[in-house]
Amino acid sequence: MSRYIAKRLVSMVITLLIISSLTFSIMHSIPGSPFTKDRALLPEIEAALMEKYGLDDPLWEQYLNYLGDFIQGDLGVSMQKIGVSVNDMINQGLPVSAKVGSIAVIVILALGIPIGMISALKQNSIIDHIVMFIATIGIAVPSFVVGTFIMYIFGEKLRLIPAGGLDGPSSYIGPVIALAGFSLAYVTRLMRSTMLEVLRQDYIRTAKANGLSQLRVIGKHALKNALIPVITYVGPMVASILTGSFVIEKIFALPGIGKYFTESVTNRDYTVIMSITLFYAAIYIFMVLLVDIAYAFIDPRIKLDD
Amino acid sequence: MWEPINKDLLGGAQETRKSLTYWQDVWRRLRQNIMAMTGLIMIITIALLAVFGPMFSGFTYSEQNTALANIAPNIELTSIGDGDYVFVHNDYKLINATSEGELLGAPEIIEDNKTAKFILYNINGKEVKFDYSIAQKARTKGSKVTETNSDMKTKYDIYVDGQLIDKYDVQSIWNKTYLLGTDNLGRDVWTRVLYGARISLTVGLVASVVNLFIGVLYGGIAGYEGGKVDNIMMRIVDIINSVPLLLIVILLMVVIEPGLQTIILTIGLVYWVGMARLVRGQVLSLKEQEFVLAARALGVSKAKIVIKHLIPNAIGPIVVSMMMSIPSAIFTEAFLSFIGLGVSAPEASWGTLANDALGGIRSYPYQLIVPSVAIALTMFAFNFLGDGLRDALDPRLRK
Repeated sequence: MSRYIAKRLVSMVITLLIISSLTFSIMHSIPGSPFTKDRALLPEIEAALMEKYGLDDPLWEQYLNYLGDFIQGDLGVSMQKIGVSVNDMINQGLPVSAKVGSIAVIVILALGIPIGMISALKQNSIIDHIVMFIATIGIAVPSFVVGTFIMYIFGEKLRLIPAGGLDGPSSYIGPVIALAGFSLAYVTRLMRSTMLEVLRQDYIRTAKANGLSQLRVIGKHALKNALIPVITYVGPMVASILTGSFVIEKIFALPGIGKYFTESVTNRDYTVIMSITLFYAAIYIFMVLLVDIAYAFIDPRIKLDD
Repeated sequence: MWEPINKDLLGGAQETRKSLTYWQDVWRRLRQNIMAMTGLIMIITIALLAVFGPMFSGFTYSEQNTALANIAPNIELTSIGDGDYVFVHNDYKLINATSEGELLGAPEIIEDNKTAKFILYNINGKEVKFDYSIAQKARTKGSKVTETNSDMKTKYDIYVDGQLIDKYDVQSIWNKTYLLGTDNLGRDVWTRVLYGARISLTVGLVASVVNLFIGVLYGGIAGYEGGKVDNIMMRIVDIINSVPLLLIVILLMVVIEPGLQTIILTIGLVYWVGMARLVRGQVLSLKEQEFVLAARALGVSKAKIVIKHLIPNAIGPIVVSMMMSIPSAIFTEAFLSFIGLGVSAPEASWGTLANDALGGIRSYPYQLIVPSVAIALTMFAFNFLGDGLRDALDPRLRK
């Protein structure tokens, strides 16, 4: 196991290198620079800016410089927000996104898995139909619509939640619902579907025939086997939810990291694009590794070392 | 004691059950599932409406009529005598209509006095004065015009040839000209929703096909092969998933023309990774089971084991994930269009329709509700069909 993890950590570094070089080359091959504005800059000023940010160096040199700084923990300065370092942007934006995101993840897991299980155990009952109906709505209504409606009804009409920002517990309600909605519905459906599949398996019949209690059959034998697709989805989902969502941060006026990222791409803010991409990729790859390790714990038949 | 049996009794009378192929069997079971067939019929109806609907709606998706902008599907008509009716628009203007609910257009304006806040119209020779100064007066007095305040239910008065008419004598009627109302440029919402269905359904279809063919096979191979092959294949998935989607889209738009094909190509490039991961996870666990060992012992080829034995056993999560990929592809298209990277105006998709309606949600909620309901109905249809398909495809239920 430890050899497997060590191997995966090495491949994680290689993957990150490939991601960084791909992102870097795509970023530089699309037209426009951070200094392309509606009003053209004087050539001298643009040249000076290019020099200041090192954009006049050959591309490979820029790439190596960036990587060198990155390894030392210096993510560079933003080319759009003057004087703001990318480290500061991440330090300010990430806690906000991560706080809202981690509550959303807890809500998804704490509600999605049990509700999906109950729904599967009571297949074709009223509870099952209601759960599936709500879950389908949760998938069919886009998060920006959910967010806007919550903001309109609870924020403006009923004034139960503040109109934006993050002060006090009530301000988390809107963003968490909007952020968790789709994934919660997805996890519920996935859990129900795999649970139904597992319940038909021979080993469940054997376990029941052996006289195990319902709780033990479900909790020990069925749940573990049904969890594989769910954790496959949940791993990468955690990475993307923790790093924020542009749309939801915009609707609820949250100073999170998702907003910076989308803006940086449209503004060609090279340092910000690279840093946030690598940051997201690192979290994501780490989550994928955790998922693979979890497979081996949940299902001992899965061997990792071959 | 023994005598030969009559030949007629021996053959013919006993018919064996016709043997069905796998797909015939799937279709037979699917047909018995009422929910699944409802879903299938709904999908066919929506697809037919998307293809042929815009031809019969009487409007084109880009036809604008700013005089009739932002009119709800359900309108309230005020009678102004002689069989003439007007509809009072939220923007403080009158629109001429028939008693049937057909909109005739904006009447001729004689005088538009913005300081005294009234508009004089000429409707069929009658001088109609639309006075909307009440709201202003109430505001200066510090009170608000509300529904509960009995003497100030509306914010306007209407005078016909100098006579104040009963403004509460209104009848609510369905908008006959624009079945689902008009948007902020006076375009017919029904036509735009039908037109938007083409783009949204195409995007959804591409996503599900890509998921099914690339994602399922890729994940199946990675999971079954395991070891180095699996490691390399899954690291490629990680890379595709981590390089920002926005950058890929912008790059593609530089290479090829922006528009629907860019979005389809993007979805084709990235939308199968989630499915690949899911199938791989399932296959990792399934391949250690006895039936795979049995198949291997019998000398079944690798390709056949993956396609015929492993993938059908993971069909539940595959179908769920495929159904989910449809709305998320539709929303991705909406997001890309929202930041100016998708289909461009005046073209429409359900996502862009919902997006465009967000700003006016307070006054014109129907503009958001219509495309949302369209997406939701399609999702319900796909889900019904998906659940039925899952049961029909499950090899363990085969008789």
